Amino acid sequence: MSLSPVEGVALAEIESGGPEVPERKDVVGRSPGRLAWIRLRRDRTAMVSGGMLLFFMLLALAAPLIEMLYGIGPKEQFQSLLDGFGMPLGYSGGVSGDHWFGLEPGLGRDIFIRLIYGLRTSLFIAFAAAVITATLGVVLGTLAGYLGGWLDAVINWITDLTLAMPFLVIALALTPTLVLRFYGEREAVSPAFGVAVLIGVFAIFGWTSTARLVRGQVIALREREFVEAARASGAGLGHMVFRQLLPNIWAPILVSFSLAVPQFITSEAALSFIGVGLSDETPSFGRMIYRSLDYLQTDPAYVFFPGITIFALVFAFNLFGDALRDALDPKSSR
Amino acid sequence: MTRFLVKRLFSAVLTLFAVSVLTFLMFFALPRDPVTGMCPKNCNPERLERVRDELGLNDPLITQYAGYMKGIVTGRDLGSAQGGHCDAPCLGWSYVTNEAVSDTIARVLPVTLSIVIPAAVLWLLLGVGLGMVSALRRGTWLDRLAIGFSLTGASLQLYFVGAVLLLVFVYNLRLLPVPSYTSILDNPVKWASGLVLAWVSLAFLFSAIYARLSRAQMLETLSEDFVRTARAKGLAKPKVYGRHALRAAITPVVTIAGLDVGGALGGTVITETTFGIQGLGRTAVDAVRAGDLPTIMATVLIAAVFVVLANVLVDLLYAAIDPRVRLR
Amino acid sequence: MRPRVVAAAGGAIALVVALGACSKNTGEGTTVDTGRTQTGVIATDPKDSQGPAAEVAGASKGGTFTIIRETPISHLDPQRTYSFAGLMASPLFARYLTTWKDDGKGGLVLVGDLAETPGSDVNKDCKVWEFKIKDGVKFEDGSPITSKEIAYGIARSFDPDLTGGPTYIQEWLADTPQFDTKWDFKKNKGSLPPGLTTPDEKTLRFEFSKPRCDLPFAVSLPTTAPLPPAKDTGVNLDNKPFSSGPYKIADNQVGVKLTLDRNPNWDAKTDPVRHQYPDQFVWTFGPTPDAASNRVIADNGPDQSALAFNTVPASLVAKVAGDAALKSRTILSPTPSANQLVINNQRVKDLKIRQALNYAIDREGLIKAMGGPTVAAPLTTLMPPSTIGYKAYDAYPAGASGNLDKVKELLGGQTPELVLGVSDGATEQIQGTQLKANLERAGFKITLRNIPDDAKLDEIKKKDNPWDLYIGNWAADWPSGASILPVLYDGRTIKPEGNSNQSYFNDPAINAEMDRILAMSPAEQGPEWAKLDERIMKEYAPVVPLFVDVAYNVHGSKAGGVFISSVFGYPAFVNAYVKQ
Repeated sequence: MSLSPVEGVALAEIESGGPEVPERKDVVGRSPGRLAWIRLRRDRTAMVSGGMLLFFMLLALAAPLIEMLYGIGPKEQFQSLLDGFGMPLGYSGGVSGDHWFGLEPGLGRDIFIRLIYGLRTSLFIAFAAAVITATLGVVLGTLAGYLGGWLDAVINWITDLTLAMPFLVIALALTPTLVLRFYGEREAVSPAFGVAVLIGVFAIFGWTSTARLVRGQVIALREREFVEAARASGAGLGHMVFRQLLPNIWAPILVSFSLAVPQFITSEAALSFIGVGLSDETPSFGRMIYRSLDYLQTDPAYVFFPGITIFALVFAFNLFGDALRDALDPKSSR
Repeated sequence: MTRFLVKRLFSAVLTLFAVSVLTFLMFFALPRDPVTGMCPKNCNPERLERVRDELGLNDPLITQYAGYMKGIVTGRDLGSAQGGHCDAPCLGWSYVTNEAVSDTIARVLPVTLSIVIPAAVLWLLLGVGLGMVSALRRGTWLDRLAIGFSLTGASLQLYFVGAVLLLVFVYNLRLLPVPSYTSILDNPVKWASGLVLAWVSLAFLFSAIYARLSRAQMLETLSEDFVRTARAKGLAKPKVYGRHALRAAITPVVTIAGLDVGGALGGTVITETTFGIQGLGRTAVDAVRAGDLPTIMATVLIAAVFVVLANVLVDLLYAAIDPRVRLR
Repeated sequence: MRPRVVAAAGGAIALVVALGACSKNTGEGTTVDTGRTQTGVIATDPKDSQGPAAEVAGASKGGTFTIIRETPISHLDPQRTYSFAGLMASPLFARYLTTWKDDGKGGLVLVGDLAETPGSDVNKDCKVWEFKIKDGVKFEDGSPITSKEIAYGIARSFDPDLTGGPTYIQEWLADTPQFDTKWDFKKNKGSLPPGLTTPDEKTLRFEFSKPRCDLPFAVSLPTTAPLPPAKDTGVNLDNKPFSSGPYKIADNQVGVKLTLDRNPNWDAKTDPVRHQYPDQFVWTFGPTPDAASNRVIADNGPDQSALAFNTVPASLVAKVAGDAALKSRTILSPTPSANQLVINNQRVKDLKIRQALNYAIDREGLIKAMGGPTVAAPLTTLMPPSTIGYKAYDAYPAGASGNLDKVKELLGGQTPELVLGVSDGATEQIQGTQLKANLERAGFKITLRNIPDDAKLDEIKKKDNPWDLYIGNWAADWPSGASILPVLYDGRTIKPEGNSNQSYFNDPAINAEMDRILAMSPAEQGPEWAKLDERIMKEYAPVVPLFVDVAYNVHGSKAGGVFISSVFGYPAFVNAYVKQ
């Protein structure tokens, strides 16, 4: 019940790369980052999946613009285009020139524009959560790994504790409670707050893998000659961390980040599935998919459009993450 | 070795203690009052207050917590509203399902075990197998197929795969019975046929991840010096790959598998919900919804025990598989 | 290479999902007739209360009847039974003082169950009631049921350990809502609560300090199920009640499966309503409403004689209603469960605003959003059509989707700002979204405030809750106006929390009128409640009536005899059988 796949796998996959990332046999004298970039550019998969991601992000960013051009808002209802049972009239769930992906059964909202806005919400949540967890993980992991001793033991124990707390159960218990505590009883809970709570829940549970990864890397680096040398020459903690350690482990962190984003996207959907998450007013992938699944038999188009979009998005992220790892770590190349 | 074990166990107990305290506090922050749920209409506040008193919900938090913990260790007397005396390890009485929580756990734990263990065997075999094959046949169509499979699996969600499988195999083709749990002791065939969809969908998603992981590990190991040395010494391919490389490559897989299985044993909420099977995970979620404190505590603690145990076991296994690892 | 995998995987999913997506929906055949009229009487002829019940046409003995439901039945202990599933399951293993003879089409007759008649009002003032117990009624172990065991059943309902059940009889006997302190069950085992006596083994006598004309109805609830004191296992009775009905508990895996076997000691000749057709009843719990409906539609193996207890979910209505072959396997009926947009009258004091809300409502859109006419039927009255004496009227004709001109006229240019509290559960989220859009179109400004699903009911039952509007639901315990209007609109009952009067409506004239009607004999009350209903709406408009729930259940091809209870609106099993 943990944020399972983020945990563990990303960690082990990345660890296999090890701290040898910066290849030292550089003849031409290009920086490791530059080399990785060249390798990435040569990888067709990386380019295609990267392009897809860019496209999705543009769509998300341009949502209000698209709404203007499309002429339909995410809350507009078109119930006159539904039959008596609330099912969309016409072909394939009401697909038409006006409604490109058809209409939601029941409320009759436009699926296309809600998908665009849902993409925006979900990508924002996933990116924000990934950034926060990465930061938390790097800070805690570096501290634990570099300073060691009792601090290491404490951070390790907190990591174990976090892993032992059941994520879904806590999320289920925490989310409504937080809303009650933070909002007046007659105030509408702003969608931004719902989003923030979700990001917070992800942050609390998502940082452990990065922390473990970074800790392992730092411990390995700590004993290396160049670090010893820097320490011997009296470098302070800041210098050690920012100039000596982090520059040498940014590659695995980046990979773990790119693999964490899709996990948060699917986790948002998983939370909707057990009834936690955003309210109906905020369009999101999770809620759309969760609601649409029941219509698999009666309105397959309703399942198809959100389903294929989230699949394509997550798939593109996974492809890109893979390619990125290959580029950063030539040893494990295909 | 002994010192390591003692240290690990101490830390494990400390973790479980912290989990229990956090869960307890979390419960009292819930918006749900378990007692009002007991009268659907005509609620009388004074009467409800008496019920709260009798259930001990008005006692100070510390008293309630100590009572619960004491129950686990020595058993305790819960009063007539909660089924009287409750023997150790007493997990309390659920005033929502009206039974001893230990009975609930005894019923739902085998369900979760029956879902997770066969699924884990399946996903490990499938995942590691695929990973090995695609690493050894790197660059061939077999490798591509395996990568495609694993990336697809890693990008799909269980509720989606589950819903489609149910629709196709159960409702439309009617090849399989409706998912349900029968004890393996009563009827192994029914047990398997009722759970096979859950196994397959879990295995599909998880094996994808393991295939990616073990492929990467295997490639890594194959380029290691000791493998090249073994090959150069003239050892036969199967022997090198089977004994030396596999062994080194599988170590991280074991780590992840241990943690995954440990986590999954704490409840596979989504799987259980998708297939309509009442296991530990769904019981925990229902308990949170109903504000059923004793059941929340028991399910969360058991889940935590699995995770913590898995952690310790992984460390031990690690040492057993990879002689380079020394336990301190 | 990898992008090709994307295409292939996408294509595969597309194929699966697109199956059957190509037919055009023209919207034909989506109307459903849900009208029916309720008639209700109390049997005057003792013959009506005698068994055996008339045979069900086409019924045969044998087989296992399965009932699939998502959540377990909350209580099986009759004294604690109040949920609908419990009320529908209970008659299989428990008998009461009185019960409803129900033709499933709205025709109801209250008859004696364990009692020979539905009670006799000794002094014709509703204060003293006597019930004579039938001969030959037995428990599952063959021991006879006498007035003592029925009295003991009522006595144990005073036990504060045994929460959950209805509290009418207890409160009437003790003449206070604090009945459990007035008479302490645990300290008085062996004696009976005040006012309850058993002059002899065949007689049960109630004496009240106030007129309780609804007693014959109230004793049709499971509180009056008998229990021998020796068989009382306290809270554990909930998992294995002691049977007095045609079936007994054979096995109960709590929360998973409940198996009922025939009770050989039940005698059909004493029972006016129940049958004993199937060998076994099995309740299984777990599958979601979608899964349960899908199973039963698939009609495979044991599911052929199964019923999905949850109604067909909105997502599957189009499939079920659109399939002519399934028509014979569905039961459809409006229920007595009435839903209102409750207006908090303590906050919204302007009658014009309350009336404007009534004119503004778009019932057609709301029902569409919920899944159409098989899910809900529009309602313009306080009481549902299934109430005895019901008279239809529409005090604020809003048409199918709202009368915006009238709203404008009543609001006179102002834009009332109202807060609508909705639970964060799936159904109310949809209703909330729909209502907000609907009312804002009409010129209101609506703020949606989510309330955690589990806490919503508790919150709106608090007198000083902070919201102006919320969705309320009331399903009466018997189809009389007396169990609806005084409960929901008598302002004198308002207390700090736990209110059923959630509109917090309080008007002395209306309160007095209720007292007047309550003192009448139950047979005369019907039309009077209907008149009061219309008067409250016309003069005060304390709520916006929205819809009644519609029961739409699907069963397997071999399941027969199930009908929707005219009292509770859920599938009843007294006539159920398995086609051989």
